[in-house]
Amino acid sequence: MMICPRCAYDSIDRLYTSPVAGVWEVLQCQQCLYCWRTTEPDRRTKRDAYPEQFKMTLEDIKNAPEVPSIPPLISQN
Amino acid sequence: MAYDDLRSFLDTLDKQGQLLRITEGLSPEPDLAAAANAVTRLGDTAPALLFNNVKGFTNPRIAMNVHGSWANHALALGLPKDTGIKAQVDEFSARWAKFPVKPEWRDNPPWARNTQEGDDINIFEVLPLFRLNDGDGGFYIDKAAVISRDPNDPENSDKQNVGMYRIEVKGARKLGLQPVPMHDIAQHLRKAEEKGEDLPIAITLGNDPVISIVASTPMEYDQNEYELAGALRGAPAPIAKAPLTGLPVPWGSEVVIEGVIEGRRREIEGPFGEFTGHYSGGRNMTVIRIDKISYRDNLVFEHLYLGMPWTEIDYLMAANTCVPLYEQLKQDFPEVQSVNATYTHGLAVIVSTKKRYGGFARTVGMRVLTTPHGLGYAKIVIVVDEDVDPFNLPQVMWALTAKVNPAGDLITIPNLSVLELDPGSQPPGITDKLIIDATTPVEPDNRGHYGQQVHDLPEAAAWLAKLQSLIASAR
Repeated sequence: MMICPRCAYDSIDRLYTSPVAGVWEVLQCQQCLYCWRTTEPDRRTKRDAYPEQFKMTLEDIKNAPEVPSIPPLISQN
Repeated sequence: MAYDDLRSFLDTLDKQGQLLRITEGLSPEPDLAAAANAVTRLGDTAPALLFNNVKGFTNPRIAMNVHGSWANHALALGLPKDTGIKAQVDEFSARWAKFPVKPEWRDNPPWARNTQEGDDINIFEVLPLFRLNDGDGGFYIDKAAVISRDPNDPENSDKQNVGMYRIEVKGARKLGLQPVPMHDIAQHLRKAEEKGEDLPIAITLGNDPVISIVASTPMEYDQNEYELAGALRGAPAPIAKAPLTGLPVPWGSEVVIEGVIEGRRREIEGPFGEFTGHYSGGRNMTVIRIDKISYRDNLVFEHLYLGMPWTEIDYLMAANTCVPLYEQLKQDFPEVQSVNATYTHGLAVIVSTKKRYGGFARTVGMRVLTTPHGLGYAKIVIVVDEDVDPFNLPQVMWALTAKVNPAGDLITIPNLSVLELDPGSQPPGITDKLIIDATTPVEPDNRGHYGQQVHDLPEAAAWLAKLQSLIASAR
C-alpha cells in the first residue's frame, strides 16, 4: 500500500500523468496535501528516506498557524 | 528599450550572451532546480537559462534566472550589461522621479488565443510544473504578478495592487497563496473577508522584465505599480482587461489565471524554501479557486529558484527595495545620501546621511523602521556618514569598526513587527530591531576622539587617474 512520504497517510490521489505516456505521475496526499512526482529522488518520495525535519503529523496540521488570521465579520448594516 | 513581453527580453538576453539554452534531456526533478540553483553561484554576470527538453513533457519551454545577475538586471532596465550596482540603483532612482506614467490599454493580447474554463481547467496541462527545494510541500508558482483591487474602493486604480507572492499548486484548479500581512494584497483580502466575500484576483505569469521588478517593489498602498513600470520603461506599460474579472493585467503576459481567493478559508500549505534562506514551515493559508486560464501559443513558463542567498530573488528585489526607502527618507530628511537595502529584501538596511546635529543619525535609523517596508523588514539598520558608500561593504565595515562604541551606539527596540518568515522572530512576526549608529558623533554629542580623521590627500584623485593611465599604457 502506498503511503505519504511526509505524514504516512494512506489516501493518495493522482493529480496528473505525464503528457508523454508512462514517464511519471504527480501524486498528492489527501491529509497533508504533500505533492510529489514519482520520478523524484527517494528523499522526496519514500517514507523511510524522507527527512525527519520535514515530516508532518495530524497534530502539526491542526496546530499550524493561520496566515493571515481571519478577521471578524463586520456587520453590513 | 522597453520590452512588451518576456519573449522579446529573452531575445535580448540571447544576443547579449546572457541566455544559456539547455537542450539535453533532463528530469524535471532535481535537474531544473539544481541547474537554476547552480547558475546563481556563477556571480554577478550569470546568464538566464532556457530549458526545452524535460522528460515526460512535450515541447516545454522553461525560463529561469531571468533577473538573476546584475548583468541581467541592467539589461531589464535597458542599461549596458556591465553597469555597476550603485549606478543601477541611481538610474532606478532617477527614473522613479518620472513616476507616475499612466499605462496604455491595448487590444488583442496574445494570451487570449487559448483558454480553459470551469471544471475543464487543469493547470498541470498548461504549465510544466516542478519542485524547487527538497522540503517544499509541492510545486510552486513564485514569479507571478498578482493583481487585485481594494474591495471597498474598487474603481480606485491607485489602490489596486500588482504584487509577487508565492503560490502553491494544490489541485487541477486549486492554489494556495501567501499574503504576508504587511503586503498590500493582505489588506485587500482583509477587507473582503470582513464583508464575508471572496477576493477576485488575476495571476499573470511570464511577464516583461519590468513588470516583475515593479511587482516586487515595496511601493506605498496607494501607488500604482503600472505607473512605476511606465516610468522605469520610459514608455507607458501596455495592459489589457482580463476577460473574466475585468482586472487590468499586462498585455504581454504568457499566462493569465483568473479566479478568487476564497473568503474566510484557510488550508495547510507549505513548507516552502523562502528568500530568508530558510523554509517557512507549514501554515494554514488562503485557497484560490481558478475559474479561467488564458495563455499564449507555445507558452514560456518562467520560474524562479530561491534558496540560500544570493539567488535570483536577491537581484530582483535589490534596487527596487533601496529606491522607495530612499525616496521616503528624503521626504523628511534631505540629508540622506544613499540607501542600500539589497540584503534579504531589506531585513538589513544601510543608510548614509549627513548629520544635522548630535543624535540625528539614529533618528534617521528610527525613521527607516517606521516606513511601510520597515513594518515587515529593517531588522538591522546601519547608519553611516555621508562619505561612506553603503554599497561598499569594506567602507561600511570600516565605519562599524572605527565609529561604533557599543556603550551608546547600539539601539535596540523590543517587540516590533517583522514578517513571520524571519526565522529569528519569536513568536513568528515579532522581533527586537537594532539600529547601529556608525556615524561620527557631532555637537553636542562629543563622545569619542574623532577630531583627527584621516582623509584622502587632496592630490590623491589626480594620482589615481595618473596611475590608471600608466597601467593602461604599460599593457
